[in-house]
Formats: sequence, C-alpha cells, structure tokens
Amino acid sequence: MQLLDTTTPRPPADGRGAAPPASPRKAGLWRRLRAARWSYLYLVPLMALLLTFVVYPIFGSLAYTFYRWNGIGSPEDFVGLGNFRQIAHDSIFWRAVGHTFVYAIVVVPVQLVLALVLALVLNNKKLRFSAFYRTLFFLPVVTSPAVVGVVIQLLVSNFGDTFNNWLLDAHLIGQPVDWLGSPKTALGIIILVGVWQTLGYNLVYFLAGLQTIPEEVYEAAKIDGAGRFRTFTHITVPLLRSVGLMIVILAFIGSFQIFDLVQVLTGGGPYFGTEVVNTYIYHLAFGGNQAQATEPDVGLASAASFFYGLLLISFSVLQVLIFRSIAKRRAAGRA
Amino acid sequence: MAVLVSRAPRGRTPARRRAAVRRTAGRSLTHLLLLGGGLVWLFPFLWTLGSSFKSSDGFFAKGLNPLPDGAHASNYTSAWKEASFGSYFVNTAVVAAGAVILTLLATSMAGYVLARTDFPGRKACIGLISVTLFLPHGYTIIPIFDIVQKLHLLNTLWSVIIVQSASGLVFATFLFMGYFSTMERDIEDAARVDGAGFHQIFWRVMLPLSGPMIATVGLFTFISAWNSFFIPLVFTLSKPELRTLPVGMYAFLGQNSTDWTFLCAGSVISLVPIVVIFLLLQRYFVNGLAGAVKG
Repeated sequence: MQLLDTTTPRPPADGRGAAPPASPRKAGLWRRLRAARWSYLYLVPLMALLLTFVVYPIFGSLAYTFYRWNGIGSPEDFVGLGNFRQIAHDSIFWRAVGHTFVYAIVVVPVQLVLALVLALVLNNKKLRFSAFYRTLFFLPVVTSPAVVGVVIQLLVSNFGDTFNNWLLDAHLIGQPVDWLGSPKTALGIIILVGVWQTLGYNLVYFLAGLQTIPEEVYEAAKIDGAGRFRTFTHITVPLLRSVGLMIVILAFIGSFQIFDLVQVLTGGGPYFGTEVVNTYIYHLAFGGNQAQATEPDVGLASAASFFYGLLLISFSVLQVLIFRSIAKRRAAGRA
Repeated sequence: MAVLVSRAPRGRTPARRRAAVRRTAGRSLTHLLLLGGGLVWLFPFLWTLGSSFKSSDGFFAKGLNPLPDGAHASNYTSAWKEASFGSYFVNTAVVAAGAVILTLLATSMAGYVLARTDFPGRKACIGLISVTLFLPHGYTIIPIFDIVQKLHLLNTLWSVIIVQSASGLVFATFLFMGYFSTMERDIEDAARVDGAGFHQIFWRVMLPLSGPMIATVGLFTFISAWNSFFIPLVFTLSKPELRTLPVGMYAFLGQNSTDWTFLCAGSVISLVPIVVIFLLLQRYFVNGLAGAVKG
C-alpha cells in the first residue's frame, strides 16, 4: 500500500505549493475523486460508525413516533400524529421541560462564572501548584454518576450524623430535612451536584482558551499601563469570545441532556418533582415510574424525544443568532 | 520570601517593601482560598475513601467524619471476590480500552483528511458531523438495540464497545480536526519531498506529532467509557457476568440497600484507575485542548 501510494498525486490542497498541470477545478470529477480516494478510505471508519449508530437511529426512531408500540415485536398500531398530540397535552412533559430549563439556567451561568474565575487564577504562570489545584477541581468530572449517586444519597441521608445534624446544631434548620424527599430541595440538590460535577470540564476548556492568547499581548498591555481589570475587559474577553461561545453552547447542550444524575439521585421523583425530559422519556420507553404509564410506550417516548429535539435545535440556533448579533453590534460600535 | 530578599539590594525603599508584602499576602490568600475550595470539592471523595475502611457500625456512628474506626480492608476483599467486582473491573477495562482504540483510529484518520485534504464532499461531511452534535441522541437507544441485535452482537462486550465509541465520535473528530488544521504545512511538504506517500505522511509524520491530542481524546473516551452507565446496562441486561462497574454497583445497591461500607469500597475501586490515568495524562490534556481550539 505504502509503495503504491508514492505515485498518488497530492490531493489538491489549499492552493499553495506547485500547481498540478491542470487546475483541480477543470479536471474531471472522476479525476478529483480518484485523487482523493485515500481521503475517502480514511473517512470510512468514522462514517460507518456515525451513520449506523448515530444518524440512522435518529431517523429510525422518527418512524416509531407514528405508532403505539410497547417495544416488543414490530410496531403495527398506527396512530399518525396522535403521539405528538398526546405529548403536547401532557402536563408532566411540560413540567419536565420546566425542570430541565431551571436546571440549565441555574447551572450554566453559575458554573461558567466559577470556572472562568478559577481558570484566570490558575492560568497565572507564577502561581505554584496550579496543576494540583486543576486536578482537585477536575476529579468530580472523572467520577461515575453511579458513584456520585450513591455518595450523595449517603451524604444527605436522614440517618446517622450527617449534614442534617450539622445544620441542626448551627440552628439553620428546625428539624431534619428529607433533602431528596421533597421536590424543591431535591431539585436544589441536583443543581448543586450538577455544578460540582461538571465544573471541571469548563475549567479545563477555559484554561485551554486562555492558553491560546499570546503572552506578548499581555506584555504590550502592561507596557501601556493597563490595569488588571482593563486587561481583562479589553484583551481577555474579546480574545476569548469564540472559544467562550463554544463553551456556552456545549454547557447548554450538556445541561439540556441531563439524565444520569437525576436517575441515580431521585429517579425523577418525588411525584415527578424532579422529572427532567430525559428521565420522562426513559420512563415512557422502559416503564418504571410510580404513577406513570405502566405499559412502556416506545412510540410516545420517540415522539417526546423528537419533539424535544426540535425545541433544542431551535434554542441552539437562537443562541448562535444572539451571540452573532451582539458581536456584530460591538464591531459596529468600535468602527 | 527568598525572592523578596534577593531582589531587594537595589533601592530598598519602604514603598517597595510594602508592595512586596502586599504581593506575598495576596499570594497566600489565593492559595488559602484555592485550598479551601478544593477541600469542599474533594470532600465527597475523602469521605468515601474513609468510609470504605469503616465497619458497618462505624459508618453510622461516624456520619460525615471521613476518618475510619480502624482499617476494615475486608470491605475491599469481599467487594472484589464475593460481589464479583473483580470481574466487573476486567469487563470495564476491556470496554474502555476497546472504545479508546476504536475512537482514536476512526477520529484521527477522519480528522486528518477533513482538516488537511480537499475532496469533493468535504464540506458536506463536516456539515453532517456538525449537525449531529446538536441533535439529541439520548433516546435513539431502541433503534440502536435493533441494529445490535441484527448484527448478532447483543450480550457481548463488542456491542458495548462499539455503541460507546459511537457516542463520542463527533466531539473527538472536531478536536482532531482543530489540532491538525493548526499544524504547519511545511511538515507535510518536507515529508513529501522525501518521498513519503499519503499513508506514510499520516501514520509516520502527522499521527506521531499529534501526541497531546491523542492523550486528550484518549482520556475523554476513557473517562466516558469507564463511567458509562446506560449503554452497558442496556446491552448486557441478560448477562450479569458481562456487567461493568457502574452497572454492577447499581445492581448491588438495588439488591442490598444496607451494605454502605461495601458500596464505598466499590466506589473507590472504580475510581482508582481513572484517577491514576488522569494524573498521568493531565499535563497533555490542557495543551491538547488549547491546540484544538486555536484553529
């Protein structure tokens, strides 16, 4: 293969280097395809996996949305758009959407601000033990949600000398609280654990972003007599914007997909008080929540999933548009 | 303080000394805050580690105190042998290693050609990959289950490896694309002048140069494969001997909801490899990410 390959013409690249006898545009499509055959070969593993296990299933599940189906055998009971209608009228679905949004809207800003401040502190080259601190804050990221679920359940539990006793001693609460047993505190705990567990990712992303800002820019600012705050607002923020946009979008995507933490901490309970969209869909598809549909309904679950997907995509598009218009207005203001 | 003294000889004015003192104070305060925050962040781990050495009675008596009442290592031996955490451990290692190898192969090759070569359909490929990042793929598990069944892979570790790899492909491809696109053109040109072909340039030149990104993607994939809960749960449902650590722990919690010290030992067992690997690779990690986002 490698011997053969030395005769392969270089695939038309970015226009630099020696131009091939005929320009790639004029060469026939067949020749361009032939020249790029190794590129296609190298794409095969990714595309095979992606098409089979990511793209096809998205549309495969679309077909189920038109059936009432319990997941056994093949779907036969065609209901048209009935599943979508049922989802749109299900108050539990909308409560689950609400919980997911509350989770995302609290977790993302809190976490990003914390992560950015920490990243700014840890990015200081003169700070010693920076790698050690980075590791401390990253540890929860590498911890399995199953482990987190067990540990947090034990920590906030009602038995033994746990937080309840500390809070009682400090007179912060009058009587022991069943933290995971009532909807409001349970959602609060899930939010706290969410911030705790995923902060490390954003910290590392921000650190990576900060490292892309050349040292000379900071030095120039120092020579010009810019203080710390001005350096931050005039250099760090603008230069971090594109990376920052990616971090914000990833953080929102991650938060809107929350499943594991809720599943292991409360299972969506009590009384759907912490049900998020993904646990709602899971319960529809596999059954298992106290008061809900006893019979699994894959069609309904697929419809909910697809419906939520549309909501998410429109949210992502909106996010990108907002960021774009802000950037444009800033650029216009400066000009 | 040593720095302070050695810098002092020229013009040791009170103003300078005050500034130096302020700097030192500021630095100490920073460390104090970081350590305090770090301790809060680390507390659940310390508590779990301590509790894994507690006796059952001590667990309840000690509550949030992480210090154990003796060294009850028996929690570990019985978790490892009697509750078959040992075989769960091996399964998890096989799945994680398989997913890392498969992901690295598929995404490095694709990332390279998408970043460095031009071919008809390149933009369409990138578009397809970008769109999948935004599509929700939580509940495509049923069609995936169908496919796995048709491929006769149900209740094998292969199914877990393949589906697990597929779940992280898009992000990893982006990382490799970003990394390769920042590399100098001259490297490839020099290799080409020396007579290297397409395959040699990738396998002998570009791939060895992408060490930090291999470490980054490898670590990401390892973390998510090692901790994955839902995928192994679904694909090994009827074969308990194929369970991974998170699934095994959850099954154990369901069956014996009282043996807490034991669960703490299990948690520590499933944490150790990942912490070790993170400590080994972490210095490449941020650099690798930085290399990718620069592009």
